Amino acid sequence: MPSVTYVEANGASHTVDVAVGENVMRGALYNGIEGIAGECGGAASCATCHCYVDPDWTEAVGGPADGVEEELLEATACPPTSASRLSCQIIMSDALDGLIVHLPERQF
Amino acid sequence: MPIDAANPVPPNFPRAVGPDQIPPHVPKELIRSVGLTMGPDFLAAPHDYMKKLHDEQPPIYYDVSPMGNMWHFIKHEDCLFGLRHPEFFSNEGATPFPRDPNDYFYFIPIEIDPPHHRKYRNIVDPLFCPAGVKQLEGLIRQRANDLLDEVEAEHARSGECEFTTAFGRPLPVSVFLDIMGLPQDMRDTFVEWAVQLLHSSTREDMADAMKKITVYLKGAIAEKKANPDDGVVSLIANAAPDGVPLSDPEIFGFVCFLFIGGLDTVFATLNNIWLHLARDADLRAETIRRMETDPDKVVEELLRRWSVTFSGRVVEQDVEVRGVQLKKGERVTFILPAANFDPEVFPDPLKVDYDRPRKTILAFTVGVHSCMGGHLARLELKICLQEWLKRIPNFEVKPDTHIEYRPGGVIGPEFLPLTW
Repeated sequence: MPSVTYVEANGASHTVDVAVGENVMRGALYNGIEGIAGECGGAASCATCHCYVDPDWTEAVGGPADGVEEELLEATACPPTSASRLSCQIIMSDALDGLIVHLPERQF
Repeated sequence: MPIDAANPVPPNFPRAVGPDQIPPHVPKELIRSVGLTMGPDFLAAPHDYMKKLHDEQPPIYYDVSPMGNMWHFIKHEDCLFGLRHPEFFSNEGATPFPRDPNDYFYFIPIEIDPPHHRKYRNIVDPLFCPAGVKQLEGLIRQRANDLLDEVEAEHARSGECEFTTAFGRPLPVSVFLDIMGLPQDMRDTFVEWAVQLLHSSTREDMADAMKKITVYLKGAIAEKKANPDDGVVSLIANAAPDGVPLSDPEIFGFVCFLFIGGLDTVFATLNNIWLHLARDADLRAETIRRMETDPDKVVEELLRRWSVTFSGRVVEQDVEVRGVQLKKGERVTFILPAANFDPEVFPDPLKVDYDRPRKTILAFTVGVHSCMGGHLARLELKICLQEWLKRIPNFEVKPDTHIEYRPGGVIGPEFLPLTW
């Protein structure tokens, strides 16, 4: 199973397995990782699963999935950057094995 | 100290009731009795009443009622704050639903504070997440059309159709039975039990309904333990997070909570929306048009405009919100329909506007306890609108009908006779 490393704003790092087809938000919730709220449950409607994709991975992950995600990324609690994504919209694949995402200080 | 869900004990929070039990620190000017869910203004037009709260009441006030005194939050911002800070606003003991103290159980996961509640959500979230409920889409569409066959037949026979019994209630129950893995022949019985439990005027009737539901659900749980399948009851009955099987009170409290939480809210949502579609031909035409292109925007705005319930918490540690002091042990109700009408966030709040800027709506609350059935409810509403409006695009409330609302924690018309 591919793994994802979540790096909290305080530097704490957690590497967990996330199944292919599962999204990166849910990977955090299932493993009790703080720093991702995901309170709408993955409907792309709340912007509380904001993450910054590590520079080594931005190309493989790509930009926002659609206009809805782009719009929501303007409403995140911590300032968005060009590496910002909603983690519920990043779907795990073998190509993303080893993915590193950085979590913002807060989600709301 | 976190509660032990495997060994439940009834909470022992003091309950303040009536004008003699107002804590001394509450400022006089914040003491109100707004008549929420009971007063004549509420019962005449509950959603108009929710808007008027913003005109007539301060953002946070202390409501004194024979049903129990509590703080009411009506501002969008304050509700978001409270619902997102379980360290100040706890769910333990906040669900005012009577249970037998000798056979007590917690409603799971609603009564479990973080981080423990995540253990339970992880069991069912794969089924209730957007991708999970999407697998039910074809089945829900089929259920809706089966009921529409009956609706049209009834209308052909009698010239009218009572929406709540013909469609608003049975549809969500059918879908609930599918997702739970329970047999469809229980549909009408479940509707009857749910109505008796949630809309009875006497405690005896409620207790009687609860007893019947308990016997049935305990039997179903035992059956699913013996013969597992892929329904939710079986998933919960056979769950073993971190290798530890759930205890009997956890399993029952989880399944029972889904029964109570999952039925009446969807009934009421459909009943409210159909009432207003029946009353407003322009809204109907606009809805039919926009469902073609923007079904998700339509669904979200209708859920904002006709939210049906409230969310309760108990203050976990003293906290100040908007200059108001709240003390440990006091109760708070977040008036979700009012928060969805906060004019600072949703200008001209009673207007249905499918092009509103995207803002967090509170129909399903927010925070760790945000409604696990929210995606299922959205999908059901979308399918019901699509299938009903395709077959019955024009309909009206039967002339000379008095639309009645009853007191209770879920807002919706009791009956809705339609003609077309």
